[in-house]
Amino acid sequence: MEFDEIQVSRWLDPLVLERGDIADVFVERRRRTVVLWRDGEAAEPRVSLEAGTSARLRRAGRERLAYVSGADDGALREAIRGLQASAGRAPLPLRTPSPRPESVPESTADRWVRRLPAILARHLPRHQLRWTLDEVMRRVVPSGHPAATAVRRLFSLEGTFVAASKRGDESRSFSFHAPDADSTVDELKQALTAAIAPRESPLPHGAGTTDVLFSSGTASVLFHEILSHALEADAEESPLSRLTAARVSASELEVRDDPTRLDLFGAYERDDEASKPRPVKLLDSGRLGGKLTDRAHAGAGASTGHGRRAGPADPPLPRGSNTVVSAGAATTEEMTRRLGNGLWIDEIESGTVELSSGQFRLRYPRARRVRRGRLADEVGPGLLAGEILPALAAVEPVIGREVRACRSLAWCSRGGQVVAVGGAAPDVIVRRLSVRDR
Amino acid sequence: MESDLPAMLDRMAPGAWELYRKTAETRESDVSARNRADLWRREEGWAARWWARGLRFACGSEAGRLAEAVAQASALPAAEEPAPRLPSAVAVRPESAAPIEPPPDLFERLGSLVAEKSRGEAVLASLALRRGRAIEDLSNAAGLTVRTESRRLDGVARAVGRRGSRGCEARAVFRWDTDPELDGVAARLADGATFPLAPRGLSFPRGSLLLDPAVGAALLAAVAPLFSMERIPRWVKRSDLAARGVTVVDDASADAPVDGEGTPTRRVVLVEEGAFVARLHDLRSAARAGVPPTGHGVRPSFLTPPQAGPRRLFVETARGVAALELLGRVARGAFARAVTAPLSVDLERDRYEIEFTGVAVLAGRAREPIAGARASGRISELLHRIAAVGTDRQFFPMPYPVGAPTVLVEKVSFE
Repeated sequence: MEFDEIQVSRWLDPLVLERGDIADVFVERRRRTVVLWRDGEAAEPRVSLEAGTSARLRRAGRERLAYVSGADDGALREAIRGLQASAGRAPLPLRTPSPRPESVPESTADRWVRRLPAILARHLPRHQLRWTLDEVMRRVVPSGHPAATAVRRLFSLEGTFVAASKRGDESRSFSFHAPDADSTVDELKQALTAAIAPRESPLPHGAGTTDVLFSSGTASVLFHEILSHALEADAEESPLSRLTAARVSASELEVRDDPTRLDLFGAYERDDEASKPRPVKLLDSGRLGGKLTDRAHAGAGASTGHGRRAGPADPPLPRGSNTVVSAGAATTEEMTRRLGNGLWIDEIESGTVELSSGQFRLRYPRARRVRRGRLADEVGPGLLAGEILPALAAVEPVIGREVRACRSLAWCSRGGQVVAVGGAAPDVIVRRLSVRDR
Repeated sequence: MESDLPAMLDRMAPGAWELYRKTAETRESDVSARNRADLWRREEGWAARWWARGLRFACGSEAGRLAEAVAQASALPAAEEPAPRLPSAVAVRPESAAPIEPPPDLFERLGSLVAEKSRGEAVLASLALRRGRAIEDLSNAAGLTVRTESRRLDGVARAVGRRGSRGCEARAVFRWDTDPELDGVAARLADGATFPLAPRGLSFPRGSLLLDPAVGAALLAAVAPLFSMERIPRWVKRSDLAARGVTVVDDASADAPVDGEGTPTRRVVLVEEGAFVARLHDLRSAARAGVPPTGHGVRPSFLTPPQAGPRRLFVETARGVAALELLGRVARGAFARAVTAPLSVDLERDRYEIEFTGVAVLAGRAREPIAGARASGRISELLHRIAAVGTDRQFFPMPYPVGAPTVLVEKVSFE
């Protein structure tokens, strides 16, 4: 990562011929530590140390990218040579790279490996979990803009554990993703305590239409699918693409995409084009807000800082980060009463959206039925489905007052490119969603 | 550094290590109506696996990084696991130095075909094509040294159908071992993007289900974990897994002489005339089961350790019948042309669900498109109700090649 930025600019600048051309060099080092935990015992530890360098040129809707494994001078020169050849320019002369010292931040993996056995033994003694610590350092050198470096550490613990229920032992899933910070241990312990809480075994609930209370931050998954994806600047087939500033939902609802929330999984201090990110209001008092842009799709304005890459081998795309819903004023009890009859959902496994048809789906492992404003039996696993515009119009104009991070929302794949995302939301009620068992 | 790695591994795990290196070069074009991306990638990856008081795995994008990762993984705790017996054959193939050409420019041709086959209702939205070559080197403590080379041309295309205010998207993933075959891809895209826009769904709750080869392959890939599971679900009867006419084979002999662990590739009949007769094993699962490995240690990337799984899985069609004849046998049912959501299969609970779009079939003739339907039930019943298979087998990347012909299933419940 320690290369001569002035030299890189000298190589990139001649490639930029017109206003609007974009050229940059992107370097990533990634250390991933994985340990499988089976009933307190560590198995199959895996350590991966990846590095890659790419050089990119975008001009008039045409993107060129050359990628080479490694993050040293040699890889940098080869990526530049590949880009120059692709752009029809004379490539740099070959030269033996000079080794440079590397500054790699200390890993926190050891600390976690020492702590986890005791935490797991206390909360989930019978488990099959996969723990991952992703430590990523990225450096972007754009032509004509200041270079930027970003470091992120992401903690994940997911798998299954055995919990007691009234019908005997049952296997439950667990999924917790958070940035590695001082508060992560306490938050993990809270999540484990909540996961092991005694609950009845869920039963099938049939198919039909139901009102749903999205609890424990799960509304952020819904809005990630139906707003964040639908307002990515390159989503030409989105049903929201031609509805600028239209009122589509309750005026009490405000949703933003906020990469600057460093406590959430999808945050970053600079995007993958070195732009400083800013929060974007996706829904402002029920009206559609702005789009999520990268440099290529920013139009007359500046990028909102949402140019994101899955890795150095991929070109950046405008992508969402953290979907955050603003708090309302209602208590949890008021929200449950307001729901009346329906489903109370506090866990969502995954979601998908198809922008051409506007249809979305959310999969949940379990839910509580609500009858006359009171929590009743456990149901699931099930599938919620709906269409973007009708679902937005069906959001109840009363929003919960306590915003919670959704720690199961973590990785989002689009066209095979996976980026970290996160979210936080208060309780939100959406009427008339389709529901069925799965 | 490269030459130091075997010695380093041998010091840590005498007689119980393997070292893997992959170098790949790919050229990719990703084209849509407004944008075009040309990507060139030269990738290198190293991986090591060793048994020293337990199994450990490390990988890195260079030899030096791998050495560093090995040192870090050595410091982590690992449960005790004995090393399996490692293969020891030596087979080196010459490396081809031919440069990788960019993939052909097929967007306009495929776009015209999609428009033509959909009568103008669908347009090709994007086409990503990738041409590449990979060279894999594997060595181990038992003296194995093997090099394999593979080439491929594959891609994914996306089409969008429009009728009034309604829209629908279809994706087709394909891999061409010979020349590009555009007609089939265009037909799948056109049907997948326009059938869901039909005004009606399926009007009857039960009938025959004719699976297009693409849907049949998706179903086979969804149940494939059954062939490498250590603990077979309770509903599986080994002597009677599927209908008598069903034979399923895995044979990647034409793709590579050895698997990702160096075990020679061989043909394995998994289901023979409906009976579940064999399972797929890598070195570890074979050692645990006390049987020889079958050559199915699969390494999807240098970043993951090999594990047991299919490599080229297909339905035998030697005793199949023509697809048109299968259609003629359907008194009332549906032809599933494309799936509209990922297949849902729960092998433990013996449940499946296929959401599809296609055509209603009455008295052996295709009638009208059906917007969407859902077939669901028990996997055990579905496999037993396969009445016949066709002769028109096609392979699809799932991501490993999976081959299926048209398949006729009887007495299926629809929603």
